Amino acid sequence: MRWVFSMLTIAVVCATGGRLFAAQEPPVKNPLEGNADAIRGGMGLYRARCADCHGMDARGVRAPDITQVWASGRTDAGLFKTVKDGVPGTEMPANPRVQDAEAWEILAYLRTLAAPAPTDPPRGDAANGEKIFRASCAVCHRVKGAGGRLGPDLSRIGVARSREAVLQRIRRGAEGFGQGYEPVTLTPPSGGPIQGVKKNEDLFSVQIMDTRERIQGYEKDKMKSVKDDTQSAMPIFGPDRLSDKDLDDLLRYLQTLRGFDPAVAP
Amino acid sequence: MRNRTLLLLALTLAVLAGTARLTAQQTPPPLVTAQEILDGLTADGARWLTFGGNYSNQRHSPLTQITPANVNRLVPQWTFQTGTLGNFETTSLFRDNVLYVTGPQNVAWAIDARTGRQIWRYRRELQPNLTACCGLVNRGFGVLGDKLFMVTLDAHLLALDMKTGAIAWDVMMQDYKNGYASTIAPIVVKNKVIVGVAGGEFGIRGFIDAYDAQTGKRAWRFYTIPEPGEPGHETWAGDSWRIGGAGVWVTGAYDPEQNLVFYGTGNPGPDYHSESREGDNLYSTSLVALDADTGKLRWHYQFTPHDVHDWDSTEVPVLADITIGGQPRKVVMFANRNGFYYTIDRTNGKVIAAKPFTTTTWAKEIGRDGRPIELPGHTPDEKGSVTCPDITGGTNFWPPTFDPSTRTFFVNAREACMTFYAWKPDYKAGDRFTGGAGQRGQGSEQPYGALRAIDPATGERKWEFRYLTPSTAGLLTTASGLIFSGDAEGNLLALDSRNGKLLWRYQMGAAMHGTSPTTYVLDGRQYLLVPAGTTLTAWALPQ
Repeated sequence: MRWVFSMLTIAVVCATGGRLFAAQEPPVKNPLEGNADAIRGGMGLYRARCADCHGMDARGVRAPDITQVWASGRTDAGLFKTVKDGVPGTEMPANPRVQDAEAWEILAYLRTLAAPAPTDPPRGDAANGEKIFRASCAVCHRVKGAGGRLGPDLSRIGVARSREAVLQRIRRGAEGFGQGYEPVTLTPPSGGPIQGVKKNEDLFSVQIMDTRERIQGYEKDKMKSVKDDTQSAMPIFGPDRLSDKDLDDLLRYLQTLRGFDPAVAP
Repeated sequence: MRNRTLLLLALTLAVLAGTARLTAQQTPPPLVTAQEILDGLTADGARWLTFGGNYSNQRHSPLTQITPANVNRLVPQWTFQTGTLGNFETTSLFRDNVLYVTGPQNVAWAIDARTGRQIWRYRRELQPNLTACCGLVNRGFGVLGDKLFMVTLDAHLLALDMKTGAIAWDVMMQDYKNGYASTIAPIVVKNKVIVGVAGGEFGIRGFIDAYDAQTGKRAWRFYTIPEPGEPGHETWAGDSWRIGGAGVWVTGAYDPEQNLVFYGTGNPGPDYHSESREGDNLYSTSLVALDADTGKLRWHYQFTPHDVHDWDSTEVPVLADITIGGQPRKVVMFANRNGFYYTIDRTNGKVIAAKPFTTTTWAKEIGRDGRPIELPGHTPDEKGSVTCPDITGGTNFWPPTFDPSTRTFFVNAREACMTFYAWKPDYKAGDRFTGGAGQRGQGSEQPYGALRAIDPATGERKWEFRYLTPSTAGLLTTASGLIFSGDAEGNLLALDSRNGKLLWRYQMGAAMHGTSPTTYVLDGRQYLLVPAGTTLTAWALPQ
């Protein structure tokens, strides 16, 4: 009987403790996401507290680019904690004066810098878009663990980039290159040129993924030449290669890509 | 009996001999004297006792064992790891085969310079809600007698026992809750420890303090912003002087002949939105020359009157006696965050030469009266204005070096521009108070950096060594014709100081950020000590 009572007590305490703990945790999702007033307030707070280091456009000045934090897999709850507690050992300070609601406002605004919410109603057929993606894009881009690696993984593109930004990228190409995707051509002393994208570089060496997806480092002084290419490996898909209808379908599909859970069922 | 007498005698002799040995060991090593600090870096390489090696901040070592011909044979002797978060920004002191090193997060060590093994460790509890703007860092110890002096992130100055790391005294400079912090390496002049405070982004009123090295009692304070009734106060509108910034977070120089200390001062606040602080905002973004005994201002020179780009003048002033136009001149050399290099007469603060050492779009030149001749369109507003240099500047707090034998000033320069924005901020004590931000250009404008050799007589460039991206490493030259630097990608570099030719490199895995290599002699071997990231590595030629 005493044993049963003890177990019941433990169960109650655990349950209560669990509820209490849950009550102290920030909501998993930003309760103010998309709220126009919150976004406006967040802009003021962001500018006053964050912009000096992260830049007016959040693309980084003294501190890193934070427009792609969701694209890199960070969650609302995790980012809320970072805003409040800072990152120990770095220049990112704790912000004890920022109230919870203010932290959510900052994140609501930051989200608009990362990927402005679409104003037009969604259009296009995602199922057909996926077929187009597999046929034309998956050779270089990975989604949910399948596809190529030469271009950026697009598993979270739906939260990372606006529809308009992705459309521009497909139709007209990009201005500049994302870090880790700058095209480069190395000419070794013998054999043909090696083409790929730069993963890292210093004055003396360059680390690349070549077009066969081989990752490898090279010493520059052992090469005949190391040349930064001006043309992205990403082709431009004009209306001749991709109709407006197919583009709508592809964009619709890409907008559905909002991350995935890589956990494997036991 | 005879045996017992002999035994007693033997024991007595043994005890006496032992006592004699103990007595000999008990002779204390000599204390660090003011004369030793004044002597600076000596030919025997036996010490490094102040931030810049000597009071002139030249960071030029007389040592010649490591040369352009053999530098490629350097091998690591040991590596010390901090075991803390955050990176080194320190200059280590060296004396009697021991290194005295400050680290991030209010931690410091005494380290055996032979082996890299810790002798003692000091750690001060980090206060909650610190306001250090740009990292929980520290730039080094000062020393005198048997005490080390170290500032803290909560704006205290501590004296530590050199032998144990125990606190001898602890004085609060200002309340950190109001935005004050301190990261500067103190200099010790005669019996005074001279320090400053950071907080230009938090609405502080900056100052330079001197404290008695023995007792910690404050000897003088010089506010970098004059109060009502003092000359220069009229350069601040209304009450803006109370929260006008002008922190002092980089170590100054000392001229014993004139008994003057020279310090660069920080930006006025709010950094970008300046309507509330109409006027030149003296003595922000200036070089101030203060009497070392009293803290009285002898002269000042303002590099950027009414700065609106966060261009602190907290770069390292370097003193030298050089011949310009056939005349011997006592100068202070200064590569400023605003993109101009200056040679200034250190007896009166008059500009001898001033020339851009990086791309500068905000000012055409420095006029005959010493004021910059500014170009229109470079006041930040809500729409933004593009200006070069960027916020970080043409250079910043990382130490330059000067080689007197070739009369060459060396600095790690940055080439970068930025769009600056401004808006009206609200002041709340201890909160950020900048009123604006910057935005980097996107696309093809890639900033880069270069090690530049400058003739201080003219400000002209002698040579440069280009980096892939801007470096934030400090520099060291040696009398053997070497210059040591680092790039942002983590390479430690040795170059020929006459022509900038690269002689040797090593990938350290972390960049020197604001730190310079230093050098000393131990057991007849010249060591090169390199703080980078969380490691301190000692290099020497093979035995």
